[in-house]
Amino acid sequence: MTLSRLLQRTATFHWRTNLAVVCGVAAAVSVLAGALLVGDSVRGSLREIALGRLGRTDTVVSSTGFFRDGIQDDVRGALGAAATAPLVVANGFVTHEPSGRQAGTVLVYGVDERFWRFHGLEPPGGDVFVSPPLATEIGAAEGDVLLTRLQRPSEIPVESLFGRKDEIGRTVRLTLSGVLPAGSLGEFAVSPQQAGVRALFAPLRRIQRDLGVGDQINTVLVSGGGSSAAALRPALRLEDFGVRVTVGADPPAVVVESASGIVSEALEDAVRKAGDRLQLAPIPVFTYLANTIRIGDRHIPYSLITATDLGRLRAEPASGEAVRESAAAGAGGSPPAPDTIVLNTWAARELEATPGDRVEIDYYLWDPAAGLQDRTAAFTLSTIVAMHGFAADRRLAPDYPGITDTDNLVDWDPPFPVDLSRIRPRDEQYWDDFRATPKAFIAYSRGRELWQSRYGSLTSIWFDVPAGAQPSEVRRRVEAELRALLEPRSAGITIHAARAAALESATGATDFGEYFTYFSFFLVVSALLLTVLFFRLGVEGRLRQIAILRASGYTIATIRRLLLGEALVLAVAGALVGVLGAILYGRIIVHGLTTWWVGAIGTTLLRLHVSPLSLAAGAAGGVAAAAICVAFSLRAVGRLTPRALLSAQSVDPPASADPGRARRNRLLAAGLGALGAALLSLGFLRPGAQAGAFFGAGAAFLVASLLYLSAWLRARGARPIGGRGTWAVSRLGFRGAAFRPARSVLSAALIASAAFIIVAVEAFRRGGGDLTTDPKSGTGGYVLVAQSELPLLHNPNEPAGREALLLRAPELADARFARFRVREGQDASCLNLYRPENPTIIAPEAGFIERGRFTFSASLAGSDAERANPWLLLDRPREDGTIPVVADGTSLQYVLHARVGDTLSVDVGGDEPLVLRFVGALRDSVLQGELIMSERNFLAHFPQEQGYRYFLIEKPGIDSTGEAEAFAGIVERELQPFGLDAVATTTRLEEFHRVENTYLSTFQALGGLGLLLGTVGLGTVMFRNVLERRRELALLRAVGYDVRSVSTMILAEATLLLGAGLGAGAACAAVAIAPAWLGRGGALPGSGLLLLVAAVVAAGMLSSAVAARAALRGPVLAGLRSE
Amino acid sequence: MLKAAHIAKSYPTPRGELTILTDVSIELRRGEALAIMGPSGSGKSTLLYILGALEPPSRGTLSLDGIDPYSLGEREQAAFRNRHVGFVFQDHSLLPQCSVLENVLAPTLVAPPGERGATEDDSRARELLAQVGLSGRLDHRPGELSGGEKQRAAIARALIREPSLLLCDEPTGNLDRASADGVAELLLDLHVHRQTILVVVTHSAALAGRFPTRCEMSGGTLVAAPVNR
Repeated sequence: MTLSRLLQRTATFHWRTNLAVVCGVAAAVSVLAGALLVGDSVRGSLREIALGRLGRTDTVVSSTGFFRDGIQDDVRGALGAAATAPLVVANGFVTHEPSGRQAGTVLVYGVDERFWRFHGLEPPGGDVFVSPPLATEIGAAEGDVLLTRLQRPSEIPVESLFGRKDEIGRTVRLTLSGVLPAGSLGEFAVSPQQAGVRALFAPLRRIQRDLGVGDQINTVLVSGGGSSAAALRPALRLEDFGVRVTVGADPPAVVVESASGIVSEALEDAVRKAGDRLQLAPIPVFTYLANTIRIGDRHIPYSLITATDLGRLRAEPASGEAVRESAAAGAGGSPPAPDTIVLNTWAARELEATPGDRVEIDYYLWDPAAGLQDRTAAFTLSTIVAMHGFAADRRLAPDYPGITDTDNLVDWDPPFPVDLSRIRPRDEQYWDDFRATPKAFIAYSRGRELWQSRYGSLTSIWFDVPAGAQPSEVRRRVEAELRALLEPRSAGITIHAARAAALESATGATDFGEYFTYFSFFLVVSALLLTVLFFRLGVEGRLRQIAILRASGYTIATIRRLLLGEALVLAVAGALVGVLGAILYGRIIVHGLTTWWVGAIGTTLLRLHVSPLSLAAGAAGGVAAAAICVAFSLRAVGRLTPRALLSAQSVDPPASADPGRARRNRLLAAGLGALGAALLSLGFLRPGAQAGAFFGAGAAFLVASLLYLSAWLRARGARPIGGRGTWAVSRLGFRGAAFRPARSVLSAALIASAAFIIVAVEAFRRGGGDLTTDPKSGTGGYVLVAQSELPLLHNPNEPAGREALLLRAPELADARFARFRVREGQDASCLNLYRPENPTIIAPEAGFIERGRFTFSASLAGSDAERANPWLLLDRPREDGTIPVVADGTSLQYVLHARVGDTLSVDVGGDEPLVLRFVGALRDSVLQGELIMSERNFLAHFPQEQGYRYFLIEKPGIDSTGEAEAFAGIVERELQPFGLDAVATTTRLEEFHRVENTYLSTFQALGGLGLLLGTVGLGTVMFRNVLERRRELALLRAVGYDVRSVSTMILAEATLLLGAGLGAGAACAAVAIAPAWLGRGGALPGSGLLLLVAAVVAAGMLSSAVAARAALRGPVLAGLRSE
Repeated sequence: MLKAAHIAKSYPTPRGELTILTDVSIELRRGEALAIMGPSGSGKSTLLYILGALEPPSRGTLSLDGIDPYSLGEREQAAFRNRHVGFVFQDHSLLPQCSVLENVLAPTLVAPPGERGATEDDSRARELLAQVGLSGRLDHRPGELSGGEKQRAAIARALIREPSLLLCDEPTGNLDRASADGVAELLLDLHVHRQTILVVVTHSAALAGRFPTRCEMSGGTLVAAPVNR
C-alpha cells in the first residue's frame, strides 16, 4: 500500500461525491474555456468574412477622380505586384423596377474579365450580377431591371461655379443576369463590415460609357508587392494627377493647368517649387467669367476676365494699335493700383472706354450656404491692350464644358443661369474670331481676392521660355519636376493595404472573449462553489476516517496533500470533460449571438472557431481555481483535533463556537450602514460624484445586510417560537438557518451579489426615449438623421435651394437641415464589430458649432466659452498639428478604446497618416457612428469630398417617433434622386441602445444562469444541513411532524436564505442605481428581469425541495439511528 | 390502554430474512410502567419504535386507546404520534439552534389548531421545565446544558402534548450515575403524577430495578425478567 494507491482507493470508493466534484470542475472549465472560444470565434469569423470578401486583393490603389486604363500595368511594375486588375467602383442606390423597392449604400463595380481572372475565377456567364444580400433586400431575380443611380463624375469640382450641380446623378438601367454567391466574390468589398454587402457588378465598358469617363478607371486591385505611397509614385503620370502641361509658341511659354479648370493649392505649391528649381518665374493666371462688363450704360455680356501679372501685359509689344495707358497703370514700373483694369481693344471699343473710366463687372460666386450669389466689383481702366501675344492667348481660359467647347455663344450651356437674349451679333463675332479670349485683365491679387475658392485661386500657371531655350525641353523639365513634387494624395490618389487593414480590423473593436468571461463570471463562480461544496461534502463524510489516519500518525500536511491530490485528479478529470463542454458552450453562445442576441453583433455569419490554446487556458484556469478553492477549504480540517474529528459532522464551526460574533457583526453592519448613508448623502449633495457615491452606498448596504443577516442568525433572545401551523413551523425553519450561520450567509451572499449585479445592470439598459426638442439631449433636438448617396449642393434651408432641389412638399418649408460633409470610412459605432481603423468623418456647416447642441461627457475645454460650448474646440488650432475631432463617448470608450485627449492616426492613403485628437466626447448621442471635424479642417484635408451628405433635420410640431418616421418618408421621397435615407433620431438611438441592451441581456442571461447554478449550491447546502440534522429531523417526525411539516420547515429555511439574498441584492442595487434609473425616467424594470428573479426563486425552491426530499427519504427509524 | 399482540419484525437482507422479533404481546393500562432489558441487538429498540408508531411490524397488531396507528395514513399517523406518544431518546436529540423552551414547544407547532392556544402551550412548557428543574434555563441553547439537563429538557418535550404513552430509549445511557438517578426519578414521578403508560428500554439494571414490571428480550420475544435483576 502506497500513498498514491491509498489516494486511488479513496477516490474510487467515494465515487458518487467525486463524480459531483468532476461535474463541478467540468462546468467551470466549460464556461471559462467556452467564453474564450466565443472570443476566438468572433475574431476568426470577422477575419474569414473580411478575407473572403477581398479575394486575392492585397492592396487597393484608388482615386477620387479617374485615371487612365493602363495604369494598372505601371502600378504592377512600380509595386512589384504579382497581378493587378482595373475597375470602376462607385457608391449608388438601386431601385428594383418591377417592385419599386430600393436599396442604398450599394457598391457598384464596373468590371471586366480582368477582375475575375485577377481573383482566379472564370468570368460568370452574363453581364450584371448582384450580391445575395442585395438580391434579397430588393427581391431581384434574373431578368429584372435594376435602375442604378450613381454620382456623375466631374473633373470640375461641383461646388465651384463651373461645376454642374443639377446633374450630379446618373441613372443606369441594367438587366440582372443573376445573383452571385459570396463564394464567387458576390460580396466583394475592400472595406471590412460584418453585415452583408450590397454589391452590383456591371460591365466595365457600360459603366464607363454611362458615367462618361471614356476608358478611365478609378481603382486598381493589387495582389502582392508593396503598398507604400512612395513606391506608387513612379507609376503615376501627370495625367493621372489631372495635370496638363502645354507649350505655345506665341508667346513661347509653358502652361501648367488642371483638368479641373482650377489649380489646387497643392499643385500650385508644386509648380512654384518646380519654377524655383528651374529658375523660372511663374506667372499666375486666374480667368473668371464676368456676366457683364459695364461702363455707364454701355456693357458687354458674358466675357472672360483674367487676373494676372499686369506687368506681363505691358511687356507685350503692341503693334497696329497703340497701347494707351493711364497713370493708374503704374507707369514707370511701379505696381498697379488694386482696382486697375485693362481692356483689350475690342472691349474698349465696345464700351467706348478711355483710360480713367470707371469699369464695373458683374459676376457670380457660388456660396455653399447661400447658393449662387451676384456680385459686382468696380475698377478704373488703366490700359487698353492690343490683342496680340499674351493678351490674345486663348489658353488663358481653361476648358469649361458647355462654355468653351461651343461653336456659338448662344449655344452656351453653363451650370448657372445665363440670359442668352443679351448676346448680340457682335459678341458672336468675337466668339467666332477669338473664342474665349479674355476681354479684360485685372491684377492677380485683386482677382484672387474676388474669386478664389477652396479649390484654388489659379486657372493656370505660366512660365516664359527663357531666350535660347527649347520650349519642349523646358516643358519636359517642368513635367519631370512636377512628377517628383506632386503628392498622390493631393490629387485624391490613395494606396490602401486592404488585406493588412482587414486583418488588423478583424481583431475586433470588442474582445468578445473578455466580455463573455465577464458575462460568465457568476456561472464560473457558481460552478466552483459547487465544486467546493461537493468536495467538502465528501471530506465531511470522511472526517472519522481522517481522524483515524491522524491517530495512526499521519500529519495534517500529509492528509491535506492526500486530499488535495485527490482534488487535483478530480479537477483534471473534470477539466478534460470541461474541454468538450467548452466546445458545446461555445457553440451554444455562438448560436445565441446569431439568433437571440444577434442585435449585439449584427451578423449571422459567426462560426465557431475552436482554438486549442483557449481550451488549454480555460482548462488550466478551471483546474487552478478549483485547486485553490479546495486548498482553502481544507484549511478548516487542520484546525480540528483528531478527537474533534471523530465526532465532528462538519468542518464549519457551529454558531455557538463564537458567541461574540453576532454582536461584532451587528456593530460592523451598523458601521457599514452609516457609511452607506453618508455616501448616499454625498450623492445627493454632489451630483458630479453621484454614480460612484450611489454605487458605493449600494455595495456598503449590501455587505451591511449580509452582516446583519449573520448577526440575526446568531442572535439570542429572539421572540420564542410558538403557535400553530405553517407559520410556526416556518419560523422553526428560519431558526434552522442558524444551524451553520457561516454556511447560510455564504449561500445568501452568493445569491445577493449575483442579484445585485444583475439588477444593477438593468439600470444601464437604455430605451429610445421620447422624441424631444431639447437641444442638449442625445438627439440634439433634431427629429431626423439622414444620409444621401449623392451630395446635396443646394441649401434646402433657403427658398432658392429648395427650388433647385425641387422640394415641393409643404412639410419641408419649415424644416431646418444641419448639413455635414462626409468622408466615408468605417462605422465607429457599436454596430460595427471591426475595429474602425479609418472611421467615417463628418464636418458640420457653419453655424452648427455655435449652436452648441448635444451634451458633452468630457472635453479638453480650456476656457469658459469652451466649457459652455465644447464644440468650439473643433475650431481651435492645436500646436502639435493634430486635428481636433469630437466623438461619441460610448464609441470612444468601447469601440475606439480611447479617451478624450488621445489621438487616432488615420490612414488617408499617403505616406503620413492624419493624426486626429479627441477633444470632446458626446453623451449618448445619435452621432455614434462618426467622428466630427470642423468644416475648415475637413476641407483642408479632404478637398475632394464634395457637398453635403449627412443631415440632422429639425421640424417644429413633431412630437413622437411615429410622426418623425412619417416625416422621414416625406423627406426621403422628396430627395429620392439623391438616394436619401432618413430615420427618426430616436429610432437611430434605439438601434445603438439595442446593442448595449443586448449585451446587458446576455450578461443578465448568463449571470442568471450562474444564479440558477448558485441556487443548486443553495440546494446542496440545504442537503448538507439536512443530512447533518437528520437525527433531529427524525425526532421531529417522531414527535408528530409529518413529511409535509418537515419539508415546510426545510423550505422555509431555503426561502429565508434565498429571500434574504435576493432581497438584499436587489434592494441595495436599487439604491446604487437610483440616480441612473431616475435619470432614465424611472421606468420599471423589464419583464425579463422579473422573469429571471422568478426563475431563480423557483430554481432555489426546487433544489431545496429536492434536497429535503432526498434527506427525508427512508424510514424515520434510520434517521433516529443515524444510519 | 396499550395493546400489542403477536408483534413480529423481520428485515430482508442479502442472506435472507433477518428476524428481530418473533412474537411479542404486551398489554399496559394507564399508570402502568414497564422496563425492557436485553443485550444489544435483541430488538428492544425495534419494539419501542413499533410501539411508538415509528416502524410498522411485519406481523401482529397494535392499538393505543383503541386506535391502530398503522391503519392510519402518513399525516394521521404523525398526528397520532404528536397527540398520544412521547419519546425520550438516549441521545436527547434537541434542536441546537433553538432555546430550551422552544425545544419543549416544538411538538406543539404541528398540533391541531383548535386544541389549545399558544399561550397555554407556553405556560405548560414553562411549568414542565419547572417540574424538571430547568426553569432557570429557558433561554439557554442545548449546547449550554449538561447531559442530565438536556435529557430533562427532552423529557419535558416528550410530555408537552400530555401523551398517554411515554417511550424512553436508554434515557440514562449517556449520563453519569447521579444524573441517571435524577432522570430516572423524574421519569417515574412524572409517570405517577400524570398516569401515563411508561415503557423504558434500558441496559441499566439500576434503572430497570426502579420499575415495578420488568421484561427481557430473548430470542425475539419478551420474557419476564428475574426478580433479582
